[in-house]
Amino acid sequence: MAAIVDYAVLAFLAVTAVALLHFRNLFAVVMLASIYSLLSAALFVRLDAVDVAFTEAAVGAGISTILMLGSLALVGSKEERPRHTPIIPLLVVAVTGAALIYGTLDMPPFGRADNPVHQHVAPRYIQETPEKIDVPNVVTAVLASYRGYDTMGEVIVIFTAAIGVVLLLGIRQPRGEKESRSNEKGPTRGGKASE
Amino acid sequence: MIEQIADGASWAFIVTGAVFLVIGGIGVLRMPDVFTRLHAAGITDTLASGLILVGLMFQGGWTLVSVKLVLILLFLLFTSPVSSHALARAALHGGIRPILADSRGK
Amino acid sequence: MTHHLVLRVVANILVGPILLFALYVQFHGDYGPGGGFQAGVIFAAAFILYALIHGLEMTQRVLPIWVLKLCIALGALLFIGVGYACLLLGGNFLDYNALAHDPVHGQHLGILLVELGVGITVFSVMVAIFYAFAGRTGTD
Repeated sequence: MAAIVDYAVLAFLAVTAVALLHFRNLFAVVMLASIYSLLSAALFVRLDAVDVAFTEAAVGAGISTILMLGSLALVGSKEERPRHTPIIPLLVVAVTGAALIYGTLDMPPFGRADNPVHQHVAPRYIQETPEKIDVPNVVTAVLASYRGYDTMGEVIVIFTAAIGVVLLLGIRQPRGEKESRSNEKGPTRGGKASE
Repeated sequence: MIEQIADGASWAFIVTGAVFLVIGGIGVLRMPDVFTRLHAAGITDTLASGLILVGLMFQGGWTLVSVKLVLILLFLLFTSPVSSHALARAALHGGIRPILADSRGK
Repeated sequence: MTHHLVLRVVANILVGPILLFALYVQFHGDYGPGGGFQAGVIFAAAFILYALIHGLEMTQRVLPIWVLKLCIALGALLFIGVGYACLLLGGNFLDYNALAHDPVHGQHLGILLVELGVGITVFSVMVAIFYAFAGRTGTD
């Protein structure tokens, strides 16, 4: 009975993905990407991964949409018609996808307790967290303590992204333009000295 | 006894919210104009979400979960009418005019 | 600016609770879903809402660019600084057992500081990227 929700969310995801590829009005594409992120967050909640769902909803449906709308204001919102029909890439993608699906037929059933992936370090983390770290949320304990190096790498990646954007685009202060066209503000404005 | 009343009330609220969701969805698809579609989407956003949240509060009982649901309901009541207002204002600013009865001659 | 009255009033009311919720998510990451990444994004969302309603110049007066550049580095520095503190206090790099008198308290302190570093960096990166995009169109 609960599987109907899974099927419905997956069907919506597929429909949204096809619609994303179809539209050439980039504003609609950005909105569809936001809907896709929200549906992915719902899927993660169904898979019992609440932390990941929270992060996906906040980053994908929130910040990422705002930043893409900001970049749409810079580049314009119509995508050009493609110059050629990409038949050979379609064949390559279809063959690779079929090979991957054929590979998943050999895997153990999803989520069963005696899968090999659950015997490796997961029992040790789940058993040792109450004794050694004493933090009720095991996800935070794994993220910050057991896998602290990975989180450090993620922070450095975000830091590098910020450096890249600031170097390429530059943060401009619009105060300079305000000075040149604010004749109606009169002598009460102190200019840059009013910082 | 009181549990069955709470369950029944929760059931009624959630089903009513779901019915309003479907009505809002059909409205968004079938309405002729941006502003009328906005009204249908507002029903989905405010009324249906509010009813479903109240229904979930009956499931939660007198615990911290119900307090959090009340806070979510308050936040939704604040923001979703404002977002409908912002959408309508943006549509007017973009030049879309509502289809009135006298302009179409219906 | 009075023709944006409804949006301005509601945004002014909402920015405070959004910041408070971000702090709640940050420090409640030990007990429920939450942690640094989500909290940083929600904290940035409050400032972006303020910028959408009041304009980029007002926001840059509230949150100047030098503060952002400082915070981007500060979060990463806090994270790696905790690792080095563990080294100096006798353990391995990022081995929180050495941070306090008791390994469990050391782990608590280490996780708290590390998530704080993550939250500060994520918040300032999101706002800095928003400033970079929104400042380029020229007008508000």
